[in-house]
Amino acid sequence: MSNTVVHRRAVLLASAALIVAPMAARAAADVGGSAPVFTATDSNGKTWSLAELHGKIVVLETTNHDCPYVGKHYRSGNMQAQQREAAAAGVVWFTVASSAPGKQGYVTAAEANEIVAAHHAAPAAVLLDPESRIARAYGATVTPHMYIVDASGVLVYKGGIDSIASTDIDDIPRAKQYVRAALAELQAGKPVTDASTRPYGCSLKYAGSA
Amino acid sequence: MSRLLALLVSLLLALPAAAQSVVTTDNVRAELLSEVSQVKAGEPFWVALRETMRPHWHTYWKNPGDAGQPTDIAWKLPAGVTADPIVWPAPTKIDVSGVVNYGFEGDILLLVKITPPADFSGSTLSLAADAHWLVCSDVCIPEEGKFSLSLPVGPAATPADPATRALFDAARRQVPTESPWPSRFGVAPSGDPILVVDAKGLKPDTIRDVYFFPAEWGPVANMAKQTAHVTASGIRVPLKKGDAKAATPQQLAGTLVLSEKTGDGEHRQAFDIMARFDPTVATDAASSAASDAEALSLWRALAFALLGGLILNLMPCVFPVLAMKAASFVRLAGHSRTEIRRDGIAYTAGVLTSFGLMAAAVLAIRAGVGEVSWGFQFQSPIFSLLVAYLFFVVGLNLSGVFEVAGRFTGLGQGLAGRGGLTGAFFTGVLAVVVATPCTAPFMAAALGFALSQPAPQTVAVLLALGLGLALPYLVLAFTPTLQRLMPRPGAWMDRLRQFLAFPMYASAVWMIWVLTQQTGADGVLYALGGMVLIAFAIWLLRLGAPISRTVWLRRGLASIAVLLAFAAALKLEDQPATAASAAGGPSTGVSFDGWERFSRARLDEAVSARKPVFVDFTAAWCITCLVNDRVALDTAVTRRAFEETGTVKLKGDWTNRDPEITATLNEYGRAGVPLYLYWAPGADRPKILPQILTEASVVATLTSNQQAKR
Repeated sequence: MSNTVVHRRAVLLASAALIVAPMAARAAADVGGSAPVFTATDSNGKTWSLAELHGKIVVLETTNHDCPYVGKHYRSGNMQAQQREAAAAGVVWFTVASSAPGKQGYVTAAEANEIVAAHHAAPAAVLLDPESRIARAYGATVTPHMYIVDASGVLVYKGGIDSIASTDIDDIPRAKQYVRAALAELQAGKPVTDASTRPYGCSLKYAGSA
Repeated sequence: MSRLLALLVSLLLALPAAAQSVVTTDNVRAELLSEVSQVKAGEPFWVALRETMRPHWHTYWKNPGDAGQPTDIAWKLPAGVTADPIVWPAPTKIDVSGVVNYGFEGDILLLVKITPPADFSGSTLSLAADAHWLVCSDVCIPEEGKFSLSLPVGPAATPADPATRALFDAARRQVPTESPWPSRFGVAPSGDPILVVDAKGLKPDTIRDVYFFPAEWGPVANMAKQTAHVTASGIRVPLKKGDAKAATPQQLAGTLVLSEKTGDGEHRQAFDIMARFDPTVATDAASSAASDAEALSLWRALAFALLGGLILNLMPCVFPVLAMKAASFVRLAGHSRTEIRRDGIAYTAGVLTSFGLMAAAVLAIRAGVGEVSWGFQFQSPIFSLLVAYLFFVVGLNLSGVFEVAGRFTGLGQGLAGRGGLTGAFFTGVLAVVVATPCTAPFMAAALGFALSQPAPQTVAVLLALGLGLALPYLVLAFTPTLQRLMPRPGAWMDRLRQFLAFPMYASAVWMIWVLTQQTGADGVLYALGGMVLIAFAIWLLRLGAPISRTVWLRRGLASIAVLLAFAAALKLEDQPATAASAAGGPSTGVSFDGWERFSRARLDEAVSARKPVFVDFTAAWCITCLVNDRVALDTAVTRRAFEETGTVKLKGDWTNRDPEITATLNEYGRAGVPLYLYWAPGADRPKILPQILTEASVVATLTSNQQAKR
């Protein structure tokens, strides 16, 4: 992405490219295009591959259990409720732990399971993504950053869990729940109205400086 | 004594309010401040939420970027009192492992304007604010604070203590100014937006770190790096499209931040941008460095240049030369076709060589100075004078005052009269020399494009222009059918030639006018005196027979006359070349509204008359100067202060590097503008003001000695 534009000020660009390097693999996933495929191991040691889930709707939820925005949706029970609704409708919901080791939100498999138990959460699986590969492939910038892949493998939603960017639980009933609405539209065979919304949350904890 | 008492009382009164107006969390010390210590009903005033962050922690701008959330203030105000939205300082880009956030580190003030109603009846005005902010380093913590402030209401608003006022003053300087330049945006075929700011005449070398902060999530991807192109015609920022699925918006709002290197360091400047959609911006997306206002593609520029070259043939200053060429062509009638063709080729070669040399000069100057505007040669009064002489001598030749003899070929004038290929070649050169002053108005678009392009395009456009100029003769030389249409040689040729002297004289008059724009009235004296000397020299040389005893004397005298005429040019060198030249200097100049033009003499006079004097050294391309003008020097408050103190306001325009100003800058150890000097009445040395001015700092400087006098 950044290498093709180097003609002039090569030194400057080269140094910029170094900084941007973590971004290079990202910024690909666009609504309406193929969702980037991935294979990952969950907190129980099971391997999941997006390609093998063809025919099913898949939800991705990036997480960092210490992020106050993630906390808002788990303390309120909003996230767990939507996970259960999705499971009941045959949707595969992945909670993706993409924080790099040493960063806030990094979890071992055991820790991930403890958190699921403590929150009474109900995802199909917690995918362990310590190298942030899934997050990079989808261009995730925050936690929670939400994605929906339809049964044919097309990315049909990316953005926030809902419409009010805050850490205040009281805002949840007032907000439009984008993911819930999108899943309802998908199941009714309709196109997703709000297919790309502003994600909000803590910055995703990629490996690297700062 | 009474003052001390008042101070104590006010301190006591202020204490409870102060205690409630500060909230200290783990990462932020937040304080609600007021710029006034007493409020007047109906008169708006400013408050601010000051956030002092722990090192390496940041809070967020109105568009927080890829993550984060801006500070939010919920006000609880008495009935009728209103609070405007937060006025945000210019943000900085904070990169957290590739996730790009827009926010603030260190110490900031979020300004809010409060307006009490005119019929406010209470004796105190109580402001309560419930603020939420997210503060992050590599982890994020939402924090909040409840603030309250009680301000007495009185017959007049009273400013807060100087320290607090200074904080507000500094904070205003952090707020982006409205962009002084229009801006546009287009959408490339890839869907990526391109922002163009039509900031003409900037010096690309002095500008760094250009970044566009979009005002909201959606149209622009924050995480993509931005590589802005700064040229003399403006700033072009290719952006990456954002995630919003909306159709093309009509406007793109945001804040453009850049660093400008000035005489004493680098200054960060921020401008609020509201770019309107302009489909022509995108058509030029292919050429990455282009940023011309007309957004010409190379091919269109070449076509325009060729057409422009053709039109040049009809310009009053070129026409006579070409008519001479035509006349010599007529004489060639009957010669062999090969000879005619060679003549046409030699002429074309002369034109193209001259344009090639000009392109080389443009490139050399651009490499050295960084920015060239067409007609740059005419910023030199010497060049203008020499061209005026040339027009004059060619005119004399056409009038038949003298014929060109073999030896009298110094300037290449009238070389069309010389036979052979050399003659044809130099007619081409001459045509280009006299054509340049005519080019600017007609060729502005193509030349503007050429000058802002990489070297190969610049050369290509200039050569296309030359080809256009030479084309009619080239075609004529290669088309016998057309040659047959030419009239026969005859007496009409001499009459035409004599007539053509008049456009030449007119062109000389025009050049002298250009010269006066650069040098003032003295230029006319030197130029016309020089012409008299040249005419005298020609007369001397034509006296008597070629071989006579006085020939050497006459030649000597003629040489002295010509030398004197050229000495006038050297004299002009000392003259300040201030005003923009008529042939295309910076078009958007420095405004002198309310200011006198700086001159050393005027300065010395005002200082020795013990008047207060304020000197502003500025340039059209200096962004920092422009911002200072807008926020600090040309505001209503400052203008009033200038007026009340009777300050003499002098402005020096260094756009064209006036040597008198250069000398003054050097005197104060500066290599460039801005420089602000203030002489208090009777002071023999000025106070040097900082390069970043605020309204308050200027007013304080102007009024400080007023108070001292009392």
